[in-house]
Amino acid sequence: MDRCVIEAEALRSAYIFLVNLLALMAIYLIVNLSLELEYGKSGIPNFGKVLSVAAGAFVAGSIPGRILGSLFNVYGGISGITDPVVAECIRGLSPQKPTILERMDYIEDNVVIVTCVNRVLYANPVLSVGILLMTLLVAAAVGAALGLVASYPALRLKEDYLAMTLLAFGEFLTAIGYYSRDIVGGTLGVSVVDPFGWVGGELRFLAATLIIAAVAGLIVLYVRLVSRSPLGRALRAMRDQEVAAEVLGKDTVALRRNVLMVSSAIAAIGGSLWAFYAGGVIATAYDRVTWTFLPWVMVILGGAGNEIGVLLGTSVYVTARMLIDQYKGLLEPVLPFSVVWLDRLLMGVVLILILLARPQGILPERPVYPLGRARIRKIVEAMRSRSSS
Amino acid sequence: MVVDPLVRDALIYASTLSMLSLGLTLTYLTTKVPNFAHGSLATIGSYTLLTFAAVLKLNAYYSIPAAFLISGCTSAAFYLLALRPLINRGAGLLHQMIATIAFELVLIASLNIYADFLTRTYRIQSRDVLMRRFDVQIEGVGPGVLPASVIFVAVTLTALVLLLHKTRFGVAMRAAIENPMLAGTLGVNVKLVYLFSWFLAGGLAGVSGVLLGLHYQQDPAFGSRMLVSIFASSILGGLSSIYGAVLGGYTIGLLEIYGIFQLSRAVGGWILPYRIIFPLLIMAVTLLVFPKGLSGLQLSAITSRLRRGGG
Repeated sequence: MDRCVIEAEALRSAYIFLVNLLALMAIYLIVNLSLELEYGKSGIPNFGKVLSVAAGAFVAGSIPGRILGSLFNVYGGISGITDPVVAECIRGLSPQKPTILERMDYIEDNVVIVTCVNRVLYANPVLSVGILLMTLLVAAAVGAALGLVASYPALRLKEDYLAMTLLAFGEFLTAIGYYSRDIVGGTLGVSVVDPFGWVGGELRFLAATLIIAAVAGLIVLYVRLVSRSPLGRALRAMRDQEVAAEVLGKDTVALRRNVLMVSSAIAAIGGSLWAFYAGGVIATAYDRVTWTFLPWVMVILGGAGNEIGVLLGTSVYVTARMLIDQYKGLLEPVLPFSVVWLDRLLMGVVLILILLARPQGILPERPVYPLGRARIRKIVEAMRSRSSS
Repeated sequence: MVVDPLVRDALIYASTLSMLSLGLTLTYLTTKVPNFAHGSLATIGSYTLLTFAAVLKLNAYYSIPAAFLISGCTSAAFYLLALRPLINRGAGLLHQMIATIAFELVLIASLNIYADFLTRTYRIQSRDVLMRRFDVQIEGVGPGVLPASVIFVAVTLTALVLLLHKTRFGVAMRAAIENPMLAGTLGVNVKLVYLFSWFLAGGLAGVSGVLLGLHYQQDPAFGSRMLVSIFASSILGGLSSIYGAVLGGYTIGLLEIYGIFQLSRAVGGWILPYRIIFPLLIMAVTLLVFPKGLSGLQLSAITSRLRRGGG
């Protein structure tokens, strides 16, 4: 009997570990692929990745909750609320804070609003999916706009000046989100409405993870298709021989702008999905180490220019980090510090070693066969047989 | 009469910022790579101060030489162990910048680990820690860190001018910055010059960290957060002259503290969260209007342009 319980516990914790691992991996894969598109394929050193990730997360933290709040008219007092479930929920919570019956503010009464709106979302899958898709679309649009802005310096500055400029402007949203209370609650953060909750209790995290993984899979596919397409060849040409690409008629200004817009939109989608998965947004979580430097580490580690390399780099880092986190109970008594810093320390050292020993990454970039090897072989064989006859 | 607190805050911040951007510019002039870990080198100084004052119970100002040495050696060690081997292997600028990112990751992790260690071993607060109580009070001036930070800038600048213009090594340094190939052929040890600039940049950052720590609340990411301002000051200074960097540091530092406060009195307190706009805006304007920065400006050209009526 006891053994059964212990085994069930072990299975459960393994399941939770795997779900969290997959979710974090999928999110980082989305962000890293956007960097791969910019740097690996097109040679734009974007050291301000955190900007579009934060934009996506801030959109998720500030827009769907506010929209659903207005939809149910929660701000003007209990009498105006259109939905009985929401009204019931607010009445239930009002003993703790009677003023919410009079009027509410999205930031001030964030927990109340999100809790009550979630009750409706749990019972309404269509609304949930609708709000998820709408948020991702808005996030992508905001991301694309930020990419357009970033393309302005990207067209004009040298590599080092560009790196410094993008890094500095990358801090913009995080700093304002932290100091200003109105966007995502400043130092306290906000809760995010839950568009996955309708799946039901235990399965919620699994469903959310699978949806995020599906988005990540689509983006892997997209980056691979771009890489094999004429566009991918134009991007690599721009990266390796810009003058030659221009002479051959490639509009490198438009190419850079489009790449930055698409990749920033992708990163913003990643930020939004992460906010939905975690159920909350706080500006301090969107710092440049987590969302700019670590993506760079993973891309360089796995191999820039190779999507499979990026997948590998992401898996290696996320697995190492989750394992350290999983076994912190064992490590913490031995070490005189919190183990959360261990993965950063290791990654810094590993990155320097990789740069010294294998700067192209574990899986270096390989020539891309636009048609696939089988068809190329067939063409070559056809040529041979024609020339021999 | 005690100095107005706002002026005091602004002067301390601007003086240390100018020394940080001087250091960043110095390493950029020699190795041509912007150091993304420069801010965290200052935080090493702040934690040296905490160790001296709270653990060893020594006078806070004794930590200045120690911080200079520790930050300087850390910075030099990064150059020796990572950057120089990379340059020798022909690594591109991008890989060198990424190496400084790796350095930043190591520094951030080490500082946090050290902060945890201080708390667990000595039971002292090591995050969000204010160390003003360790400072001396000077009659009629206020906290000692105010004159100390101004003196720090004056001494550093005087010493640098003397070094660069009056000593053989300084002349060799200028030659190595101007034309490393030619200087190398003429027998200047260019690599030693590079090593020395990384050491000096780190050391100055360490001292800046002590002074910042005596006045501003510290946590392991404090210096890292200043990086935007350091970059903005250096770009405003032109990234080509250490005097430009000092001027840039004072401009950005004073605006960031004094300017935003005056602005908030004019337009309202809602502007205060947007303090980061100052360095970003100045950076953007510099890059758009005079990309060579303050040191690239020629006064005669500007006055003649103004006389012609702009354009």
